[in-house]
Order: sequence, then structure tokens, then C-alpha cells
Amino acid sequence: MISGQSRRSFLHVGFCGGVGLSLAQYFQLKSAQADIKQYESKEGSAKSVIFIFLPGGMAHQESFDPKPYAPIEYRGPMSSIQTNVPGVFINERWVQTAQVMDKLALCRSMTHGEAAHERGTHNMFTGYRPSPALQYPSMGSVVSHEFGPKNNIPQYICIPSQPNEFAGTGYLSSSFAPFSLGSDPAAGGFSVQDLQLPGGVTDERFTRRRRALDAVNDYFVTKEKADSLDAVDTFYQRAYGLISSQQAREAFDLSKETDALRDAYGRNTAGARMLMARRLIEAGARFVTLTYGGWDMHDNIAAGMNGQVPPLDQAFAQLIRDLEARGRLKDTLVCIASEFGRTPKINGTSGRDHWPKVFSVVMAGGGVKGGLVYGTSNSTASEPEDNPLNVEDWATTIYHCLGIVADKELMAPGDRPIEIVDGGKVRSELLV
Amino acid sequence: MKTMIRFALLAVLSVLPAGVNGDEPAPASLNVFPADIHLSAVRDRQLLLVQAVLANGLTVDVTEKAELKVENEGLLRREGTTFYPVADGTTKLTVSYGGQAVEVPVVVQNCQVDPPVSFRLDVMPVFMKTSCNNGSCHGAARGKDGFRLSLFGFDPEGDHYRLTREIPGRRINLALPAESLLMEKGAGQVPHTGGKRFEVGSEHYNTVLRWLEAGAPNDPGPTPAVVSVEIYPKEAVLDGEGATQKLMVRAKYADGTDRDVTSLAYFSSNNENSAEIAQAGLVTAHARGEAFIMARFETHTVGSHFIVLPKGLQYEDPKTPENNYVDTLVNAKLRKLRIVPSELCTDEEFLRRVSLDITGTMPTMSEYDSFMADTDPQKRDKLVDSLLQRKEFVDMWVMKWAELLQVRTIANRVEKKPMLAYYNWLKDRIASNTPTDKMVQELLSARGGSFSSPATNYYQTETETLKVSENVAQVFMGMRMQCAQCHNHPFDRWTMDDYYGFAAFFSQIGRKQGEDPRETIIFNSGGGEVRHLVGGRVMAPKFLGGATPDLAGRDRRQVMAEWLASPENPYFAKNLANIVWAHFFGRGIIHEVDDVRVSNPPVNAELLDELGRKFTEYNYDFRKLVRDICTSRTYQLSTKTNETNASDHKNFAHSELRRIRAEVLLDCISIVTTTQDKFPGLPVGARAVQIADGNTATYFLTTFGRAKRESVCSCEVKMEPNLSQALHLINGDTSNAKIRQGGLIPTRLKEGKSVGDIVSELYLRCFSRRPTEKELASLTALVAEQQNTAEALEDVFWSLLNSREFLFNH
Repeated sequence: MISGQSRRSFLHVGFCGGVGLSLAQYFQLKSAQADIKQYESKEGSAKSVIFIFLPGGMAHQESFDPKPYAPIEYRGPMSSIQTNVPGVFINERWVQTAQVMDKLALCRSMTHGEAAHERGTHNMFTGYRPSPALQYPSMGSVVSHEFGPKNNIPQYICIPSQPNEFAGTGYLSSSFAPFSLGSDPAAGGFSVQDLQLPGGVTDERFTRRRRALDAVNDYFVTKEKADSLDAVDTFYQRAYGLISSQQAREAFDLSKETDALRDAYGRNTAGARMLMARRLIEAGARFVTLTYGGWDMHDNIAAGMNGQVPPLDQAFAQLIRDLEARGRLKDTLVCIASEFGRTPKINGTSGRDHWPKVFSVVMAGGGVKGGLVYGTSNSTASEPEDNPLNVEDWATTIYHCLGIVADKELMAPGDRPIEIVDGGKVRSELLV
Repeated sequence: MKTMIRFALLAVLSVLPAGVNGDEPAPASLNVFPADIHLSAVRDRQLLLVQAVLANGLTVDVTEKAELKVENEGLLRREGTTFYPVADGTTKLTVSYGGQAVEVPVVVQNCQVDPPVSFRLDVMPVFMKTSCNNGSCHGAARGKDGFRLSLFGFDPEGDHYRLTREIPGRRINLALPAESLLMEKGAGQVPHTGGKRFEVGSEHYNTVLRWLEAGAPNDPGPTPAVVSVEIYPKEAVLDGEGATQKLMVRAKYADGTDRDVTSLAYFSSNNENSAEIAQAGLVTAHARGEAFIMARFETHTVGSHFIVLPKGLQYEDPKTPENNYVDTLVNAKLRKLRIVPSELCTDEEFLRRVSLDITGTMPTMSEYDSFMADTDPQKRDKLVDSLLQRKEFVDMWVMKWAELLQVRTIANRVEKKPMLAYYNWLKDRIASNTPTDKMVQELLSARGGSFSSPATNYYQTETETLKVSENVAQVFMGMRMQCAQCHNHPFDRWTMDDYYGFAAFFSQIGRKQGEDPRETIIFNSGGGEVRHLVGGRVMAPKFLGGATPDLAGRDRRQVMAEWLASPENPYFAKNLANIVWAHFFGRGIIHEVDDVRVSNPPVNAELLDELGRKFTEYNYDFRKLVRDICTSRTYQLSTKTNETNASDHKNFAHSELRRIRAEVLLDCISIVTTTQDKFPGLPVGARAVQIADGNTATYFLTTFGRAKRESVCSCEVKMEPNLSQALHLINGDTSNAKIRQGGLIPTRLKEGKSVGDIVSELYLRCFSRRPTEKELASLTALVAEQQNTAEALEDVFWSLLNSREFLFNH
């Protein structure tokens, strides 16, 4: 190839070109020239997403889809409580969440066919069934690809770190990888990996270092021209922005919140992660993924839920209330998801096993209706009944809220244009 | 192509005076396609193309201008340059242009025979040509709008069923064929998501209609298979925007007949910006560049190589010196593209580049001094030879092979002990320079315990039959077969038969636990078959693109290994040569190296062929290949570009900046800061390149993209930058703590070295060059500003480690 650029080479350029172009713009510009389905992404009803993922597969029966009238072997050992939306019941442990039900949309008809952890997880992070031929990008990486950073804050952040391989960039350039905090915000002495200047380096000294670096770089960058060089430069500029901007650095600092608020979230893993997520989206992050707990409760499900739910319940309800109070719930989409639900019948060890046929997800804010129960499962919570919600439609709806048309094609290796989501429809019933 | 030109030259007859067509320069040779015409049914036909090759290498489509003369005019009817049969017999056609003439023998047989429309031979190709069965339409796994066809027609039987029987009466109407939904949708007469695919009355419309009129029959028995597909011309060099070239595609069938399938082949271009292809088979030149034009017919994809040059481009062969065959072949391609390669890089650049590439280390100060002081004109070759003897060269390639062979621990499957045995086995093979074919054969036919016969770990790292087979194809032949598991490969020649036939070699691997629970014993179980996904047939083991071997009494893997790592397998040597090449250039001649397919052709096929041939000739000693590559002028080119090669990044016309890979970068930081690392299971001071287990992770290595070896994909090694990398080098331990730990600066200050000397040393350590006067002046000034000289020099050191020049090999 001499001066024309093939679609394939766009892909392998892999880097930001030219002055004044962000990485995402560069990719958008390039892919815009290719013969693929192209839509421009414009900020939608949700400016940001907080994606709360509960690894292991949370039982839908012991959370958002209790079956109090089912026989005991289906119903399980726990009972249910009334929420602040008349007629809507959830599991008894979700006391605080029950009081913000009017802000939530419960989808009780989520369904896919993948009963293995990694395959189910793949579905929920990418909106695709796993393929042997292609690694799909996570929703967060797609968002990172579609939108540039705001206020020096990385677009896609994982708390505490990238939870699994499907939360990564898939076939997209690893430049769109999540930024990981690197440690748990609930831990004592928490700090974000490499965000602070090292000991002995003051701001003043750092400025000198940057001057020295500019002097050293000058010779090479004058001599060499390459996209890969510009891309490194882009990330150095972003790093400087993050390090130098007090506002950006403070986004990662929970101690800037009042003690009362931190207590309200709970001074534990769930509380700290959710509060961190709220701070990050306020600072400009587009997609914040956080994980909490382990939900693979093959044995003694009641004990498991009793142990894991209360901190989550408190933190989640507080997150919704806090966002609402700050006027940010309307443009922040909060999702709770898990790779699948659990078997309708209690098993021989008082637990439940994997069940992907039907389970529940929660959506709130960012253009999603509150106080809504969307879709139902049947009387034993074993099959979807009304409005089965597949992964494609669910992901498409999330993208829609963000202002991304999921039918858009991105270029995968081998000149394969691949839809962000294949054949998904927006479930407008969920939207305001 | 060469053979075509040769044929054309041989066939030249000087019958006409030169310059019949006035303004066109007389051609140096004339290509006529096809070389022979066979017409064998009333519906048969053959398009004829004439291509003039000018003395300067440009080609011109002179089909319309050439004079065509049939000796026995009664046999053929002509429309444009397409010939139709009229009467049986043999004759010849003389094509004349610009003072040259070529004869084409013609045979017409069975010209009164009108065979019925065949579902497989005639109707199925229409679905592909009109994109009905592609992946975004009815070829999708779930079909489209309720109707499914098999992707690119891998399942004609199923397609016939779905068209004629699935919803009776819906898709076809045998009473009123033209009112079948199939016809009305296809012709856009009723709303159709896919729009109009063919015009009423067009050739494709009529084919399907005729089939319906005949009662939509399935083929009564097997139809002759397509044995090969040819595309003409095989290459073209077009002069400027707007130049055009017609294409012709011909299929050959197992029954000996051939057929002009130009109208049925699906065309695509891998670079529409340079050469656009219309489905009628006409290429139009646009911007300067190269394009590979592909035609797909049935399961065959064939390609033609197009170059587009600016109109009237002035070019003078720079007569670039050539060190060896690598340069000869690279320059031959560059000449076609009218590109002038860059100048040689400086000695300093070469020293750093080749040390990083061969040994994964930075040259020491004394290596720098002695190399720079050496006045021997052969000193670069000498340096390559000495680097090849270093043990770091072995470490580098053990690491690369460990990625290909996925050396890593896996919970409950591969414990540390067998993993280490596997690694040591590999290291021993590379260190002792075992011929690569022997090593691969030993690996793939390995039997025994994973302790005592460590190569068997290969079959323990991956235990799923299909996946093992896919991995073998990807690593040793560069092919991604995964697509063909569920449908014929959409971008390559591979069918599901090929896929399951190859997988059958791996269906009889027995695994049992050894006495030590950490050991697995791999043996030949002698039983177990692979079944085809469609229909469940048991598949006989068949080499990819090769024979179905006699396996009587033999371990299937043994037979496969002996074929795979041998010259009989056309992909093996070339694929490994390409992997070696890519290590030194940052991109393969086929790129990515494990994405070998018809639709991703080598940028320089002659070069790849020759590298493969040499590798075989060297008895698979890849050190010799490395030597050829590193001593070539092409490897030693500067990154500085000229007007002609600045925008080329594929043809090795200049050197490219390559970010240094994670392990090597960490080792280099340790080398220049005089610090040591401690990795799990290795002694203090061992290098990151030497880490055996893919599962060993450090923050630095993970952040800079070390392969976890979870898959065999070359994409696991990540070279793209990200925010965490920048933050880590700016604020992290690897730069800051190591500068302190190494204590280089206080040591030098104590020795009484001046600031200038220390800055110079840092430059030599990190960049293998001295600072320019400007750099020295500005950095010493910066240091002088501060009270604390040691701290200020540390800042300089920090800035060198954070610099682009350090991060890249150049």
C-alpha cells in the first residue's frame, strides 16, 4: 500500500494520528471511511453507567424474583418483603433496596443459554455469545472507543481491577482497555496504582522532570514520525492531566466525602466501591464496572445471602438515593447483573445450581423508568413468561441510553465489520 | 503470472506492423486469457481478455482494441469479446495487438446439448453472487427475517430443503414460478429487507426461474466438484486514476469441463481506495496503492494482485545495493511500486536495534566502544554472528516458542513440575539448535509421562480435540481454522470437511494419571473418531490441503507430525520463516503471522517463498535464517523515510519504530539502571525473558502486555500503549525505585565524574548514542539550576527512561 489506506490497515494503525485528534476520533474518522454501518455516537440520556457485577451467579429467587406462593422446594428457605411500589415484592434481605424500588426497573425475564460461569460472564459483559473465532470487546471498552475522556478521567474504569478477561478490549485496540484502580478502595491506605507522585518528588520537581523529558524527547520526535509515537504521547498527556489535575486526583479520594455519607454507604467493600463509582462518574468517567462478593451458592443459600446481601443492599440503595439527591440519577444508568440465575429447585445441599434460562437484572436512572417490573418468569422461576429479555436487547438498550447505536459496525481483524451488538432491539418499554 | 508471461512471449507471432493503435506505446508482451477455449454446452460461453504489458511494467487492458480473428468462423458466435458455441469442432483464435499476436486454441463440443438447470451448479452460485447467503443476510446462523440459507452455501441439501419444503407453499410457487416469494423478494417486487438482488429478466433471475419452472428439483446425484478456480489477469499495474481492467474467472470441474463463471463469482477488493471492483468484474483504479482483488466461487477464493501508480509517474531505478537474496526480492517488489528504499541506518542505530532484536538486551558501554572503533567493513556481519552465539539469543526464542506452545501452569491440569519440565525440554531443544522440523515432530508425536517425556505437556495444556487441532493449524501453519468448525471458511479455501478431517488426527489421544498425581501419561488410545457437524459422518484423517494418508497400524499423530513438519507441507517452512521475519520487522510478510489465508496474501510472495525454501535447505536451522535477515540491507535500513516510501508501511522500504515488548523492556530498564529483579522460581538477577510460566505476572509485565499464553494467538503480546503504562513509568517503582536502587548516579559522582560525563553515560546506556551538543547543553543547564546535583541527575535518568527513544526499537 502506498498512499491509500485499506480497511485492514486502519485497524493495524492502531494508534492516534495527527495533531488535535483524540484516539477515539482517530478511529472514528478512519472507520468512517470504510464501507460499514456507521452511526455517530452522541451522548444520550445516560452520560455514564455504573455496572455492578455480582460474580458467581446470584439467585434471582433470593433477590429480585421471589416466588412466595411456589412449593417450598422452589420457594426456598427465605421470605419476601413488600417494596415501596405496591404489589412488588423482593427478598427479605433487601430492606433498603425495597425502599428505592420506585427508582428501579426490575427485569425478571433475563434469559440466555449459557450455564458455565465464563460463558455467562462473557454474555453479560459483551452482549454476545462466546465465539471460537473472535474476542468481543466489553461494553466499557466499546464506550471508551466511542467517546473520548472528560476532565482527564479515563472513560472506562474498573473497581478494583478488571474482573475477568471479557471486561477487556476484545478485538479492539488495547488502548481502550479499562483503567484499573489496582487496589480495593475499602482497604486501609488505599491509593490508585501510580497516581501519586513518588516519594521525594514534589510538584515542582515533577515540573522539572517534565522539562527534562521534553528536552530528551525533542531530538527523537523531530526525527521520527509514527502513529505509534503519537499514541504514546496521547497517553502521556492523559497521565499528566490525571496527575496534575487536583480535581481528577481527588475523584479517587474517598476521604473527600463526609463521614456521615461514607457511613451511609457502609465502610466496607460494597460501600467503598459504590461511593468510588459515584465519585468517578461525577468526575467524568463514562463506564465504571465494579464487582462485589461471590454468589456461586451451591450450598446453603440462605446463609450465603444473609452474609452477602446486607452490605450490598445498603450500599446500592444509598447509591440510588445519593445520585437522586445530587440530581445525577437522571443521567446515570446503574445496572446490577450477574452471569446467570440459579436453579428453580433447592438442591441436596440447600443451595441452588447454575440456571441461565431465566434470571433478574436491575436497571435504574439514565433514562430508565422507575418502579417498573419488566418481564416475568413463570410460577417456579424456571422459564421466562412475559417479555423474555435476551442479552442482545438488554445490551442494545444500555447502549441506546448512552447514545450509541448498537447496530454500528466496528472493524475486527481480517476486515470483518462486526456490529457492536448483533441484532439487538431497544426495549423502549423500559425507557422514560 | 510468470508462466503466463512466458507463455505469451512464446506464443508471439509477428504478423502485424507495430503501432496499429497509434497513441498507445507498443507492448513488450501480450497476455491473452484464457490460454485455451473449451465450449461444451449450448449455454456455455467464454470471455476473452487481452492485456498489454508495457516495457516500463505498466499494464493496459486492450481487450476492446485487439483484433480477434477466428480461423473457422462457423464454430463461434461473438458478442463483444465473449464467444458462444455454434457448431462442434476445433479451430484457433488469433489475437493481435500492437505488432504482437497470440494464438488461442478453441474446442467446441456438445454444442447442441442443453443440460437441465442444476441446483448445486447453477442455482447455489446465484445465492452467493447476489449475497443472499452471506453472514449479514440469510447466511446468518439464525437466518434473517425467518429464512435461513447456509453461510456461503456450505449445506446445499439443507438449503434445498428450506427453499422447497420448510414452509410448504411459502417460498416457491411451482404453479406460477415467477410469483414465488423467492423471485419477488429477490427482484425487489415486494418489500425485502435486503432490497433488490437481481433484475427481472437478468441472467441470475432467469437461472432461478428456469429451475423453478423445471419443478425446483434437487440434483439427482453428486454433481462434479469444482477442482480449481482461476482468475485473470493474475496481476496488473494500472497507470493512474480511472484506468480500468476487466477480470475473467474460470472454474474447472472434476469431469474435465470448464466454465466461465465471471458472472457468478463474488468479487471483493481488500483496498477499495486503490482498486475498486464492480460485481460485473471491472476493476477501476483510484489512489496510488496496492490491492488484492478476490473472486469467490463455490468454496474457492482466488486473488489477483493490483498496483495503482500515479499517472505518468517519473521513476528511476535507484540501483540499491543488495547484501543477499532478501534485498534482491524486497527491492524487486519496491521497483514495481516505484518506491526507493531508505538509506542504511547508522552504526549506533544498528548496534542498538540488532542487540535488542537478537538478544533482548541493550549493548553495554564496552560493546558500544569496540563496535564503534572497529573499522572492518564487515563489522555488522561480525556483530550479528557474535550475538547469535549469545545465550540471550536462546532465551529470546525459548520465550517466543513458549508462547506458541503455551507453556504455563493450569489449575488442576498442568502443575508446576511438568510445566518446568516442558520449559526445560524446549530450552534444551533451542539451545542445542535442534532442527525445527525434528523438534516439532517430537512435540506433536510425543507419548509418555509429562515428567519423563515433557513434550507430552503439549497435549495436556489443551485437551479438547478440536481445539488441539485448531492450535496445531494456527501455530505451525499460521491458519485460523475456527470458522470452518461451523461453516465453510468465509475468507479461505477451507471447508468443514477439511476442518474435521484434520481434527481426526487428534481424536485418539489417550490421557491417564501417572503414579505422581501431578503427572499425566499421554498415549495412543487407538480408538475414537471425529464426526462432521452436518450429518455426523465419521471423518478420515486428512492433511490440510493434502492427502488422506494410510494409517494402518500407526499412531495418527505420528503420521500427521511427519507430514506437518516436512517439505511436503507447503505451509510449515514458510510459516515459521514468517514468524522469524516478523520478530525482526514488527510485521510479517503475511500479517498477522497466524492469519494465513487466501484473502490475506503475502505482501511479497517471492520473498516468503524464498525464505521458506532457504529454511528447508538449511535443514530447519533458524539461526541461519536470522543471520540472513539481520545481515540484509533491508533490516539495516534507517527509519528516516524519503518522499516515495514515507507512507508505505508494508513493504519493508524503511525501518519502522517498534515498541519494545514487555519482558525486554523490563530487562532493559534493569540493565541500564544496574539493578536486578527477582521473579518467582528464578534466582535473583534472572531476566524477565527467562520466566518459564505464562501465569507468572508482575504489574509491569501485565501492564506492558506480556502474553499470558492462554491462547496461541499472536495477538496475546500487546504492543499498544495505554494510560497505566504511562502512569507506571512516570510514578511507578520500575523507573523511580530502580534508579535509586542501582545507585549509578551517586557512584559516578563519588568517582568525580562531571555532570556532562554522567549525562553522556546515561545516553549511551539508554540510547546507544551520545547526546547532541544541544541536548548536553540543555540538560547540564537544567541540572545546574538545582542545588542537589544527584537529585537533578536522577531526574535526567528518569526522563531518559520515560522517553520515546527508550521505549522504541528504531
